[in-house]
Amino acid sequence: MDLGLDSDELVSCVACGLCLPHCPTYVISGRDAESPRGRIALMHAVQAEGAPVTDEVVRSMQTCVQCRGCETACPSGVPFGHLMEGTRAALVSAGRITGRWQRLGLAALGRPRLLRAASAGLGLLQRLRMIPSARLGLPERIPLRRPRLRASGADVLLFTGCVMDAWQRPVHRAVQRVIEAAGAGVTPTGAAAPCCGALPAHAGLERLSKSMAERVMAGLEGLGGGAGEVPVLVDSAGCGAALKDYGRLLGTEEARRFSARVFDVHEWLAPRLDRLPPVRPLEAAVAVQDPCHLRHVQRAHEPVYEVLEPFVESVATLDDDGLCCGAGGAYSVLEPERARMIRDRKLAALERSGATVVASANPGCSLHLAAAGLDVRHPLELVAQALEVPALRA
Amino acid sequence: MTGLLSRAAGRVAGRRRSRPDPLVADLVAALGPDRVQADAAARYLASRDASIFSEGTAGPVCFPASTEQVQACMRIAARHHRAVVPRGAGTGLSGGAAPLGSPVVLSMTGMNSVLEVDLDNRVAWVQPGLVNLELSRRVAAHGLHFAPDPSSQQACTIGGNVANNSGGPHCLAYGVTSAHVAAVEVVLSDGEVVVLGGLEAEPGGYDLRGAFIGSEGLCGIATAVAVRLTPNPPAVKTMLAAYPDAASAAATVGAVIADGMVPAAIELMDARAVAVIEEFARAGYPRDAGAVLLIEVDGMDGGAAIQADRVVAIASANGAASVRVAADEAERARLWKGRKNAFGAVANLEPDYYLHDTVVPRSKLAEVIEAVGEIADRHGVSVINVFHAGDGNLHPILAYDSRIEGMTERVAAAGEEIIEVSLAAGGALSGEHGIGVEKRDHMDKMFSPADLDHQNRLRQAFDPHCRMNPGKVLPSPHSCADIASLKAADGALWG
Repeated sequence: MDLGLDSDELVSCVACGLCLPHCPTYVISGRDAESPRGRIALMHAVQAEGAPVTDEVVRSMQTCVQCRGCETACPSGVPFGHLMEGTRAALVSAGRITGRWQRLGLAALGRPRLLRAASAGLGLLQRLRMIPSARLGLPERIPLRRPRLRASGADVLLFTGCVMDAWQRPVHRAVQRVIEAAGAGVTPTGAAAPCCGALPAHAGLERLSKSMAERVMAGLEGLGGGAGEVPVLVDSAGCGAALKDYGRLLGTEEARRFSARVFDVHEWLAPRLDRLPPVRPLEAAVAVQDPCHLRHVQRAHEPVYEVLEPFVESVATLDDDGLCCGAGGAYSVLEPERARMIRDRKLAALERSGATVVASANPGCSLHLAAAGLDVRHPLELVAQALEVPALRA
Repeated sequence: MTGLLSRAAGRVAGRRRSRPDPLVADLVAALGPDRVQADAAARYLASRDASIFSEGTAGPVCFPASTEQVQACMRIAARHHRAVVPRGAGTGLSGGAAPLGSPVVLSMTGMNSVLEVDLDNRVAWVQPGLVNLELSRRVAAHGLHFAPDPSSQQACTIGGNVANNSGGPHCLAYGVTSAHVAAVEVVLSDGEVVVLGGLEAEPGGYDLRGAFIGSEGLCGIATAVAVRLTPNPPAVKTMLAAYPDAASAAATVGAVIADGMVPAAIELMDARAVAVIEEFARAGYPRDAGAVLLIEVDGMDGGAAIQADRVVAIASANGAASVRVAADEAERARLWKGRKNAFGAVANLEPDYYLHDTVVPRSKLAEVIEAVGEIADRHGVSVINVFHAGDGNLHPILAYDSRIEGMTERVAAAGEEIIEVSLAAGGALSGEHGIGVEKRDHMDKMFSPADLDHQNRLRQAFDPHCRMNPGKVLPSPHSCADIASLKAADGALWG
């Protein structure tokens, strides 16, 4: 079967195996079919050697978290994420993965009203104890009402997204307060840009993700009165990675220009820290969990540490080489057992760090870790909290 | 349409699975269904390692969890007259884990625990599937590490290190794997468990531990390894010397050793290597250098500093344009990251590579490197040199694109000539990657028929029926006469 993969990309893997310890599913399973090298070999077997797409081949592709930890480890620069998205798109076309319910659910992400209604419904069911929240990876208490976000200027746009906006709006509020404290006016994007399209892209729904991307770009064109050059700040690592990839996804000059003005909010804030007032650091021992799409895809995890440092008592780096936590967007729902086994390793690393608070810059990771009973905050929630108490001047 | 067809194929495959072959049924009965994979995808993947050799097709792939389960696999394979091939992370480069025929594959990745750490004796019993670097991490809190450090150490397993008697940059001063393994628990091909070697200073009898280490899976499967742990040196100095050409770099290597020092590591990388490494690792190697040496000395504070000064002086006297001493741990890590990722980084140049491994006397380094360059030019292949210069262990990487017609043959021919040149210079077939399939048919260039026959008799003392990893290392006239187990499985892999 032709997976439609670029032959040069496919053969760029020399099978050295250096990716193996950086792949969460290989680390927990020890199985070649659940390793980046094995997955690439199977893609090659299917596309170039005429191997049939057996159920095991499909499982090999389905079990991938798409954390792309293999990409930063790969000395040959294999674009694994791109190969995996292409493979999944081909498997969707062949009707092998991402069934109708899943497709409907993903399409709903781009429809804010529907999403809000669905979220409220889930919230109600949750309060009636009719759904197993922890098992489904849902927040402990899905909000029924959300605080309003108001524009305070148009120096920057704050991309608010879909699920995160429904469930974690307080994070957006905190982020907005911090940006404002740094002296910039913020326009939250809200319904102008409903969903970045990352989850559909991961599921192999290429057309849906492209149309969502186009919609985001159109919605943000001139939003807040800017001339299309206002920085787009993102406080979700997964969304940020997706927005930064529009240039490649859509392949147009316009999309490339758009992607160039997207920044993870920490990336934007780190060089502007001197604009924030001095504060007394929060009494919290914080461990930073590097979201894969910040560390391995955007390769922009270091500013998180830089931003946190002045505002909390201590910032710990985990000793697990940025190995995935197992959240993987919808992965924790679709592959709960693997997601839990992967998370167990992250929990052990967090335990070793001695920290009591976990800072995570990605909503999926924070939900997944919170479901294990941890105190997880967005890094800028901690900063916002510290900013509430001005320092006593010496 | 395609979907329908493949679903139909899946159903047919499903039916086939419903009456599995008796070998698989026995393995499943012994290990449980989760620990045996007999599907085409798993077998396809277990049919290759990091080398370019993949001639056979793996039979069922087993993931034993204990010594007892390994014994069970061995007995079942013997009953079904099937060979057994052990597999670690599959990072080997000589085809040692790539099965010939259609053997049962024992993937040891599930047996990856540290069983016991004895700090008084600085020995740890570990399982063979434990990753090399992971072992060092686990004992780091005690100020110890496992000295053998192959470039693949972040991925490769202790079992694979034992099988290949693996080396690594730091083996110049510290010695290769056999110097760091006190004892091995081995399951023989009939399922019997033996412990070779021991923790006491002078274990009695012949050194069967020494015979087993480096036997490339032909003598049995290690199920537990007593590794010696090395104290982390209090001081380490890492230097990068840049030269206008490889010859002056090679001259420095000889001069440093002749001066009476044994640095922890001396690695040579030529101009092309520097270019591809910088592309990936941004290690800070000077891109305009004709060759660089990565030299590390260690020991007590004062001693390391004195050695470092002498190395800098010798490098300069031998034509180094610059010598940089790593200022801190971060810079040191960066310099090593470049070296350790060199092989994979070659893919930035060409899609395929053939990484060679021969040894030559240090005094002949410069002339052999030149000869290797000339051989590669003649065959129209790019060659990149990254190697353990301190012990004369050459690693020419032949980079090529196998999609070009005739290229693979040209690479093979160049590889053969490189072996001949190395042997003619008084060198050896392999430094640390093993013989496997790769060098098997060159063994008679180095060993006489009598040598080879004796090697085979030693192997048969462990495995009389040659069921362990057959067809590797020893060329056929000197191997077991009839390897029934090598016959390929019936039918194509993907059905």
